[in-house]
Amino acid sequence: MVDDWPGMEFLAEGLRRAVALFLSGDAEVYGIALLTLKIGLTATLMACALGIPVGFVLATRPFWGRRAALTVVNTALAFPTVVVGLLLYGLLSRRGPLGGLEWLYTWQAIVVGDIVLALPIAAALAAAAVQGVDPRIRRTAETLGAGRWRTAWTVAREARFALAAVVTTAFGHIVAEIGSAMTVGGNIRGQTRTLTTAVALYTSQGDFGLALALGFILLVLALLVNVALQVLQGRANA
Amino acid sequence: MLELVGVRHRYDGRIVLDLERFAVASGAAVAIVGPNGSGKSTLLRLLALLERPSEGEVRLDGAVASASPALRRRVTLVEQRPVLFRGTVRENLEYGLRARGIRRTKTIENVAERFALAPLLERRRHELSDGEVQRVAVARALAVEPEVLLLDEPVSSADRAAAQTLYRALAEERTRRPLAICLASHQLEDAYRFADDVRALADGRLSPITPENLFRVDVPREAFGAGGGDLKHVCVGAIEIVVATEKAGPAILAVAPTDIFVSREPLASSARNVFTGRVIRLTHHRGGVVHVTADVGAELVAVVTEEAARDLALTPGGPVVFSFKASAVRVF
Repeated sequence: MVDDWPGMEFLAEGLRRAVALFLSGDAEVYGIALLTLKIGLTATLMACALGIPVGFVLATRPFWGRRAALTVVNTALAFPTVVVGLLLYGLLSRRGPLGGLEWLYTWQAIVVGDIVLALPIAAALAAAAVQGVDPRIRRTAETLGAGRWRTAWTVAREARFALAAVVTTAFGHIVAEIGSAMTVGGNIRGQTRTLTTAVALYTSQGDFGLALALGFILLVLALLVNVALQVLQGRANA
Repeated sequence: MLELVGVRHRYDGRIVLDLERFAVASGAAVAIVGPNGSGKSTLLRLLALLERPSEGEVRLDGAVASASPALRRRVTLVEQRPVLFRGTVRENLEYGLRARGIRRTKTIENVAERFALAPLLERRRHELSDGEVQRVAVARALAVEPEVLLLDEPVSSADRAAAQTLYRALAEERTRRPLAICLASHQLEDAYRFADDVRALADGRLSPITPENLFRVDVPREAFGAGGGDLKHVCVGAIEIVVATEKAGPAILAVAPTDIFVSREPLASSARNVFTGRVIRLTHHRGGVVHVTADVGAELVAVVTEEAARDLALTPGGPVVFSFKASAVRVF
């Protein structure tokens, strides 16, 4: 059937190679996938740990400059990844202010870049999620004597679906990002090569089949993390 | 004692509450009545320390009260359409106690018993009717044993039987321990049945007279008839009330129930307002006073003595005539 539709041959070949790579237990491919997962989960965890409380504050605390802060966060959603990578490169390069860390061309540098990119997403979506909760929930928690943290936890429980979407969106954004990872990670084989930078490399080398195979693996990875989150959410609802 | 002193509260620059002083004494049962939009809910939110007044202060036992959890724990509000948290009825009842780091199963079971909620303890919010949600919300507020309980239209979603259960439970609670209750309602009957002190709120201000016969009206600009002075016809329900006022436009119209003459037949008198109708109900109060609620084209309440009600043979459904002077009508 694929032969009847020559345009699909490429895709079918990519899918075949993806399955073959998975089954063959290719150490390099598994290494790239695991590094992508490690960077994705670490950056998601940290971006959400920082961004969700920021979103809560933006949504619930009236303070001077709140509107301006919301505008900044919303603008940061559109940060070009390569620009973030460049700025971070400047900071982490040997002559930069954070050069002493010696993080340039390490997976930690990619994590920092991803956090910078995903933090505004987590903050803006969390603010929207919290603003979507019935204001009576917060008032009721407060009138029953709940302190700030218990009130925030009560509101978060009501916004759990929207907050889970914040986590999955942040993860999706991080694992799909390439500009910053390429600039501060350097796409070094066995050290900082992630699925997206590998896809870019193999595409530029003309090995479209391998690039496509890695792209499929990336999709499967994203799918698995989403399914895992949904299972956790389902348990929390039980 | 919980009080508002010199409070002016604004939303978007518009004054929604303007009270020189409003106090709920320890152990008192106060009812606030007034039409929708009169400021009842805002008043309760300020008393509950959930909002800070734009001007003035909230005082608790004479000291200026801040919105700290410690002070909030002494005053609890149940909103008009209360919400339950995610989880079971039991978890909701436990919420306030947990916030205080207390785990008292016995307290929860006692409060559930008093509010006829024992069979519902393991249900979740989507398995409850609106009336049950309201009952759970009141029980949840009382489980933390506040000194002041604020209730915003507590029986708005309840049928008559459920309302009775709720009021009975509240009365029992007040006999058990010192508890001040401040209730906002648009149902005068409930307010009188429940409270020792009924206050009327209209357009964010306390009404200078009793809360019955308060209407939001539109006063015409023109006076009627030649030499009519400031006499105007104001539409209230299906009747036109003659009032003497210079005011024009949106206003509150009030007729003190004690200013209404009650008779079986129209009387020859100087009263410009004479309306014939039927008695809806007779409510007997302390001190031999009877409130006569009648439909005379609008629902009006008059006050007579027990003796007068007997002499006039007033009965629900029976005929009645209400008369009052144009000068007895207050427009503000």
